[in-house]
Amino acid sequence: MLSARDIHRHFEGMHAVDGVSIEVMPGRITGLIGPNGAGKSTFMAVLAGTLPASSGSIVFQGEDITRLPAYQRARRGLVRTFQLPSEFGQLTVLENLLVAAPDNRGESLLGALLGKRYWMPDETRLVAQARGLLKRFGLLPKESDYAGMLSGGQKRLVEIMRALMLRPRLLLLDEPMSGVHPSIVNEIAGYLEQLRDDGLTILMVEHELHIVDRLCDPVIVMAQGKVIGQGSMAALRRQPEVVDAYLVG
Amino acid sequence: MSLLIAAFGFGLVSMSVIALAAVGFTMQFGITNMINLAYGEVMITSAFVAYYLNQARVSVWIAMLGGAAFGAVFSFLINRFVYTPFQRKGTALLGMVIVSLAVSLMIANGLLPIVGYFSVSYRERFSHLLRFGDIALTVNQIVIIVLAVAVMLAVHALLRYTRLGKAMRATAANPMLARNCGIATNRVIDAVWLITGSLCGLAGVVAALDSDSFTIASGAGFLITALAAAVLGGAGQPYGAMIGAVVIGLVTELSAAVWSPDYKQVVAFVILVLVMVLRPQGLLAKRGALAAAG
Amino acid sequence: MNTYYAANLLIFAGVDIIACLALNLQFGVSGVVNFSFIVFQAAGAYAAAVLSMPPDTAPDYSFQIYVGGYQLPFPLPWIGGAVVGALLALPIGLVVLRRLRADYQAIALLVTSIIANTVINNARPLLNGAAGLALVPQPLDGVVNTSTNSYQYLYIGLTAICVAIVWFIAARIVNSPYGRTLRAMRENEVAASALGKNPTALKMTIFVVGGAIAGLSGAILVGFLQVWAPSTWLYPETIILFAAVIVGGRGNNVGAILGALLVPVGFEEVTRLLGRMNIGPPNLIPALEWVCIGLLILGFLWFRPKGVVPEQRRVFPGAPAVEEETRWVVGKGAR
Repeated sequence: MLSARDIHRHFEGMHAVDGVSIEVMPGRITGLIGPNGAGKSTFMAVLAGTLPASSGSIVFQGEDITRLPAYQRARRGLVRTFQLPSEFGQLTVLENLLVAAPDNRGESLLGALLGKRYWMPDETRLVAQARGLLKRFGLLPKESDYAGMLSGGQKRLVEIMRALMLRPRLLLLDEPMSGVHPSIVNEIAGYLEQLRDDGLTILMVEHELHIVDRLCDPVIVMAQGKVIGQGSMAALRRQPEVVDAYLVG
Repeated sequence: MSLLIAAFGFGLVSMSVIALAAVGFTMQFGITNMINLAYGEVMITSAFVAYYLNQARVSVWIAMLGGAAFGAVFSFLINRFVYTPFQRKGTALLGMVIVSLAVSLMIANGLLPIVGYFSVSYRERFSHLLRFGDIALTVNQIVIIVLAVAVMLAVHALLRYTRLGKAMRATAANPMLARNCGIATNRVIDAVWLITGSLCGLAGVVAALDSDSFTIASGAGFLITALAAAVLGGAGQPYGAMIGAVVIGLVTELSAAVWSPDYKQVVAFVILVLVMVLRPQGLLAKRGALAAAG
Repeated sequence: MNTYYAANLLIFAGVDIIACLALNLQFGVSGVVNFSFIVFQAAGAYAAAVLSMPPDTAPDYSFQIYVGGYQLPFPLPWIGGAVVGALLALPIGLVVLRRLRADYQAIALLVTSIIANTVINNARPLLNGAAGLALVPQPLDGVVNTSTNSYQYLYIGLTAICVAIVWFIAARIVNSPYGRTLRAMRENEVAASALGKNPTALKMTIFVVGGAIAGLSGAILVGFLQVWAPSTWLYPETIILFAAVIVGGRGNNVGAILGALLVPVGFEEVTRLLGRMNIGPPNLIPALEWVCIGLLILGFLWFRPKGVVPEQRRVFPGAPAVEEETRWVVGKGAR
């Protein structure tokens, strides 16, 4: 579904990403792990278009997207979430989801000027859709709360739901469990499994190895800007370089 | 050609005046991440403090020290009572711009009833004209150039050789790391505002001395010229600010000679906007340091 | 009550309301800190003036030098003012609204405002330099008698119509999915682009729309004042409008209108009142007003950053049939 070839990313003389090539297969949760400073988040940002690649190419569903800005990649189905909470704080939870929906006639200036009668049907449909998602993820009672007021885990769910409103083909999750209370972590992991079973492809950066164990297959290991191993967790545990670099027993 | 050489001479003076202002400004930004838009008003207020001393028969060269001292205290107080509280409250960088803009308006207009609208000058305004070939400079101007060079060397010595200077550089590079290494960042920041404040006050008196006359309204021009030099050199980099001052000083004087003196300031302003848009990190900073987040 | 005084008050109120609604769209809703706002109002005023004035070679006008002079009838100069405001937004927006950190953007716009003022002030052949333009014809000059009281009422009416039009546009924008997208961009631009929104296009559009409305406000003002000079549009004028939007309440139109009435109009009236009482030297009152504006900004940013009328929480009615089937979450097929 996605293949990145020889991606480099320099920044102020440092090679955060130093020749990384990966393939992401559809329908699976691919993990991306590695010690701090390995360049995982930078690589994710390059894949999503938030940062430009210094060199290399990215092909998504047969299309070369290397030169495309982030918003165009999102429109093609490559959507990312962020490590730090990135909800729209002064918008309600429901509005957060509605913003993401791409096919609302009221979203252009002209559409807005044409008034409620023009875009209300779209809006009503999307509200129902969003509520469906909220119900599935257990946040329907919070629909009118300001997103900025939620707990870390809830904000993370809102971000994921927001991404889902775009009907993504590939979801890039940057440390989805960071800042989330341990009791919620399992809940989120459960949702991710459901999504994978529905056919969603996910590439996930994660530190918590037991989550990676549970959810991810295959797993890619990065260290110091390079890929040092790929495969199932079991196989990786047997590779000495990987163990040295990262896994502690 | 001789016109250009004469302009070069004026450029030397200009760059000295600008450097004094720009270095202080850029250090405030580098170490406290604060684009202090009230800087120009503190400059002009200090210039007026020196003016009143001057009127009381104090030589402008001594009054300059009074101006510097005033600038130090005033800047320190503004930071202590306005900037720091807002920063602690979590105000975003953009909010701080609005805050410092509000402060600058308050200073300028608070000063007006006291000082009035009329332009004033220092008693030592006129001095002997000396000629070096095509370059004609007054004694005042030569002293300003020497003063600026001395101050630049002092700043360099401060940053390079003193403990405070090293602490300042560490705090500028990474405040959290600096704190973890045992540097009392709060005290460093206080010191920064006192030192840069005195530079600000000194620069204000010097700039006022170099102009034919000055009023409260001159403050905005001082600010933007200092801002232009600081951003051109790389915001937060004192040596960058010096280079920026050299460039802006020369370019504005040459443009005045070749084109029109009315637009001298506009040239500096246009340089500022161009730098911000084309290369926001300035000359010295590495690429990407000041681009938008993400 | 003196008709002229009433007209002055109401027309200035109308112009300020229009300006605040525009600035609210740019700053309150979309987060674009347009510190050069006053330049757009000025551009509209100059445009309306040179569109409605006779050429500078005409008798009575030859003491001024300016471009244009097409003697167009109302409402063309007002439309022209809006158009020029929009057109000016294009180059400024394209240059400044790139991926620049937000505080640099704000400062670049502020400096642009100062540059524009200085250039127009000095370039006499363009718009008569520091002296500015005078004897600007009033709208419908040839059609009705402009020295009567009824003309004042007519002008108030015209202003009111413009306020209504602008209010309509602003309301439609703010209360629509488009407005929601703008607010999302204000909250977190990077997240918004990760959701497929093009931030540059959004900012440019609202910059142009705001520029057009600001231009209209300038046209209305110059038709009434009949003079317009660089001293009218110094950069602090933008700050007054910012104070108005911050005080009144960001992001919502009612707040913008309230802010317009409290700050620019309120201060105008206070100046007038206190001026009559002859307190202190003549320039004390305006100077103190500016100090108050600064205090208002700081005070509200500290105690009540949302303003007097905060942005309303948007609640969606009822619970329409909720979709149980959400297996669509995964995109399938061509887009």
